[in-house]
Amino acid sequence: MAVAVTPPAGPARRVTAWHFVRLKLRVLGNNFRGQGRRIVLFVVGVLVGLWFASSGFLLLAAPGLAGESRYALLTAAFGGGLLVLGWLLLPLVFFGVDETLDPARFALLPLTRRTLVTGLYAAALVSVPVLATLLTASGLVVTAGALGGWAAALVALVGVVGGLLLCVAAARAVTSAFATMLRSRRVRDLAAALLAVVAALFGPLQIVVMAAVRRADWDRLTGAARVVGWTPFGAPWTAGLDVAEGRAWAAALKLLITALAIGALLLWWSRSLESAMVGAVSTGPARDRRGAVGGAVAQLFPGVAGWARRDRFGVLVARECRYWWRDARRRTSLITIAVVGIFVPVMVNLGGSRFATGSGDAFGEAAANSSPALVSLSMVFVGVLASVTLANQFGFDGSAYAANVLAGVPGRLELRARMTAFSLYVVPMLVAVAVVLAVLLGHPAWLGVTAGALLAAYGSGLAINAFVSVLGAYALPETSNPFAMNTGAGVARSFFALLSMVSSAAAAVPIVVAAALLGDLWRWLALPLGLAYGLGAALLGSYLAGDVLDRRMPELLAAVTPRR
Amino acid sequence: MTDQHPALVLRGLAKRFDSKVAVAGVDLDVPAGSFYGLLGPNGAGKTTTLSMAVGLLRPDAGQARVLGYDVWADPVHAKGLLGVMPDGVRLFDRLSGAELLAYHGLLRGMDPAVVDQRAAELLDVLALTDAGRTLVVDYSAGMKKKIGLACALLHGPRLLVLDEPFEAVDPVSAALIRDILHRYVRGGGTVVFSSHVMEMVERLCSHVAILAEGRIKRVGTLDQVRGDRSLEDVFVQVVGGRTATGEELSWLSR
Repeated sequence: MAVAVTPPAGPARRVTAWHFVRLKLRVLGNNFRGQGRRIVLFVVGVLVGLWFASSGFLLLAAPGLAGESRYALLTAAFGGGLLVLGWLLLPLVFFGVDETLDPARFALLPLTRRTLVTGLYAAALVSVPVLATLLTASGLVVTAGALGGWAAALVALVGVVGGLLLCVAAARAVTSAFATMLRSRRVRDLAAALLAVVAALFGPLQIVVMAAVRRADWDRLTGAARVVGWTPFGAPWTAGLDVAEGRAWAAALKLLITALAIGALLLWWSRSLESAMVGAVSTGPARDRRGAVGGAVAQLFPGVAGWARRDRFGVLVARECRYWWRDARRRTSLITIAVVGIFVPVMVNLGGSRFATGSGDAFGEAAANSSPALVSLSMVFVGVLASVTLANQFGFDGSAYAANVLAGVPGRLELRARMTAFSLYVVPMLVAVAVVLAVLLGHPAWLGVTAGALLAAYGSGLAINAFVSVLGAYALPETSNPFAMNTGAGVARSFFALLSMVSSAAAAVPIVVAAALLGDLWRWLALPLGLAYGLGAALLGSYLAGDVLDRRMPELLAAVTPRR
Repeated sequence: MTDQHPALVLRGLAKRFDSKVAVAGVDLDVPAGSFYGLLGPNGAGKTTTLSMAVGLLRPDAGQARVLGYDVWADPVHAKGLLGVMPDGVRLFDRLSGAELLAYHGLLRGMDPAVVDQRAAELLDVLALTDAGRTLVVDYSAGMKKKIGLACALLHGPRLLVLDEPFEAVDPVSAALIRDILHRYVRGGGTVVFSSHVMEMVERLCSHVAILAEGRIKRVGTLDQVRGDRSLEDVFVQVVGGRTATGEELSWLSR
């Protein structure tokens, strides 16, 4: 059995991107082992992805199949641009990035930065969203082929692959940079504000798009598409069409632009990657030796929960309030609600018309276009969006939830306290949204309608999400990256979020129906009825879901404890 | 009724994860007032057993009684008498030490004034007052163990269950924890803790149980279990590990 004492045989074998891809596939596979529920969720996710991808494919292939070259440029530039934008912003605002291969795990291995970045990049390409995007974008290849023959199709294919690489690089670079910023205590609040601005870009963008569509000025639109085609957002997608139009030099230039953009993004990523790798080790203790004021109990209760009694309910509320602000993941959610909550209803209710007319009479016309039912509908969306944050509220706690299990906190009390603490932050925001919208619409009298619908939807959303959070909880990885998720959790997360949003919206339907049917009478009834509806739904939800929680506290704890 | 009962009784506790049997029927009687060490190699099922005993993990079969109250049938009474420091479980670590103690105290329905007074004392004794408003997440490993112990002690439990209380703790803190536990037992409390530090167990415990492969292999008072040998010898023999390497790994020496 003895092994001869030998020096390591020659230089170590080279590590290539292929190793990372195989590692990712292996981790994915091991994650599914013996986890029937995860496999089902994964398959459902793949099917949903396929469905969306096929619709996208048809949309992008349509101009080619119909032989309409005029629309081809528009769909390629704007459709492709939306893809890039989606990859850039959606991970930040909604979905997070798949951190199956956490960069920090590679910190001790003798790998060059270049090997690591290409490896992680290659591994990031192995995912369902990437495949779905590829399927969608290949519609462009069909279009280019139909309009310009094989050469155009080939260039379009190169462009599509380049565009896909660009999308993934953008998603990685941006989330990594933001995660680094959010980790550092000093610039954390600045980063949060920046994130808000990024999310806010959704608003103006949609307004511009709506305006353009309403105006239906094809010449101007085509001009815009040409400009977009020369930016990294549109360059990879429109290269094939340039060949079809006989401008091979433009196609070459556009592919170059794409390659440069990918290079720049990867460079940016590799910068922040380094700090992500050492960040976990070297942040150092942020000691705060300032003498504490008052006793332990007084320190725990923040100002916002100062009114609470010093009992079990009060202390749960106080701890949750502290957590909504101190936990980066939770704070990120709060900021998202604030930003999206303001912009979506503004867009829906007055965005399009205001920019379409371009005249000073914008508000009057907007108000004329809007109706109590439409306003209620957009408010329902905001309320549901706010409450869906709680869909995995126990996942935020992770294994720390053990403390509550050990203390035997009754389920109803637990859920009621969590709803209360979250509402202390969210309800003022929602009220502000309602007021802003009513004023912007030029109908201050509609305040009752907006606030009523909002509170009703929020309350019923809380009720639904109480159930979802108890029955569909999943573990979040214990990293300092607020955007990270566990493998496979992406599908679960989207699935449960979707499920809870649909059911919450369904629960709020009576309010919209009432707004549509009751007319003027509703303006006076909306606020009290909406408030009562929301409060009643939330209480009922915590009452019923609390019983479920009482029966499955240990199971819930196991579900939210990350596997090691 | 609590005084005539043993502090902790486990009967036939069993747990299986997927295809792996983690705990295969554990029976244990912990007399009130004892200092009980649960020994076992890594993966023996110590954490799983203790988690089932305190109500964190639902057993597939078996019973756990704390001072006569069934942990799974009557959790309210049982949990009220228990103080637990789990291992591998996070604390609500975005709170400072004092805030965390206040949380645990009020969560167990204690009077705020009592919580304030005991929290100050505990922080002082455990030398955590210096940390000020530092969040627990930024504590060192040893400080985290100490604040975890403080959380378990705060409500004055009758039975203390500690999972690996001496892991990653420096000698100074370990001595401090040892003193506190000794005082607690002298005052009539019962301590059950898991460990694989033989020296600590030999020094502290009145009773010992050795757990391996999900079963109790040896159980009794410290003297009964170790006889005239050292506890480490008995442990290695029971667990069946090898004590020396042979010819393999020769490339480690040059």
